Amino acid sequence: MGVLNNSLPDIGPVRAVDSAIGWGRKSSIWPMTFGIACCAIEMMAVYAATFDLDRFGAGVPRATPRQSDLIIVPGTVNAKMAVRVKRLYDQMSEPRYVIAMGACVCGGGPYVKWGYNTVKGVHKIIPVDIFVPGCPPRPEALMDGILKLREKVGRNQVFARQAQTAADMDGRYAAAK
Amino acid sequence: MNETDIHSKLAGAVVSGVGALDESAKDPFVVVDPGSLVPAVTFLKNDADCRMEMLNCVTAVEREDCIEVVYHLSSVTHRHSLTLKTRVERPAGGTHESWIPEVPSVAALYASADWHEREQWDLLGVRFTDHPDHRRILLPEEWIGHPLRKDYVYPHEHGGMPLDLDAVPLYERDEATPSEPAAPRPSGTPLVQPPNPNSDRPDAGGVAPADSDGDLRSIKPGSNDGGGH
Ligand code: SF4
Repeated sequence: MGVLNNSLPDIGPVRAVDSAIGWGRKSSIWPMTFGIACCAIEMMAVYAATFDLDRFGAGVPRATPRQSDLIIVPGTVNAKMAVRVKRLYDQMSEPRYVIAMGACVCGGGPYVKWGYNTVKGVHKIIPVDIFVPGCPPRPEALMDGILKLREKVGRNQVFARQAQTAADMDGRYAAAK
Repeated sequence: MNETDIHSKLAGAVVSGVGALDESAKDPFVVVDPGSLVPAVTFLKNDADCRMEMLNCVTAVEREDCIEVVYHLSSVTHRHSLTLKTRVERPAGGTHESWIPEVPSVAALYASADWHEREQWDLLGVRFTDHPDHRRILLPEEWIGHPLRKDYVYPHEHGGMPLDLDAVPLYERDEATPSEPAAPRPSGTPLVQPPNPNSDRPDAGGVAPADSDGDLRSIKPGSNDGGGH
């Protein structure tokens, strides 16, 4: 959509188109198949039958970053892995979202003091949209994070000019709900 | 057999370098000279009464005056086990930069020793001579230093990835004015952990005590000045 991005006035019809696009995006989030440490086990539980992430349209992990919209970073990111995480994120196409899952990825977790090769939070290398704390977070917590992300994706402005004021943003949040 | 019998068989078979059995510990252990390690382990493995088929693990301990490599051997056939230790004395002023202890490898006898010895090399800097594949096992190949040594200094970043708690995120850095890479620690700096404002752990570093007797964290680097950090 290139040149039209965020260039139309923020009025009713444009908003309607934006929210239709947002609804489409948020209802078919494709996460990337990606797991690092212990938190990945909880993430797998979220994908599996008991919790069934597919209810929210995010249950089809893609095998390549080029097809995915969301990277859930579940587990300790160490110096060796950080390079790979950054490369995978760079390979994803816009719009892309990041969920930091677990204490390690939110800021070092158990390794914050003596972790000689741990990146103290994945937000040091890639921008994070949703932080899900816990060691590990329960599956419900990750699902809550994904629901929060859905809200965020849903109120994305594609064509309409970016909101300038806080009141403006509040109006959009209310419209997106 | 119990440990006492195994030890007496071992002491009888290997001519020299086998110490007394220390039974004060919960797991009685024998200290063996590094030079006698391979004959002793070979004997324990092959002797019909000992038959130590299994090397459970190889670990290492850094002590004030030595580095100790610990071997847990056990026999599935006879259901007994023995702990072997070998010690390499620390030379005066030996730090992780200037002193790499050498111990003969037992990887030719036990396949399990291969990776375990590589791990000790990686984290504690014990070199195992005649090891078939003497590389780091966990950390990246180009990592500097051996992190479980007491005088290890933590890096600020590795391969461009920030490792500090208060590092500026990569995507917020000013591309136009690239920051200087963290300077390597100059040779001759006391090897002390920098004080950490986020921790009140008593041994979290800080200023080195004035008298340096027996305190590993105040050891000055040895005479070698090859490379910084
Ligand atoms: S936050 Fe806890 S459970 Fe998750 S990767 Fe770190 S140590 Fe493992």
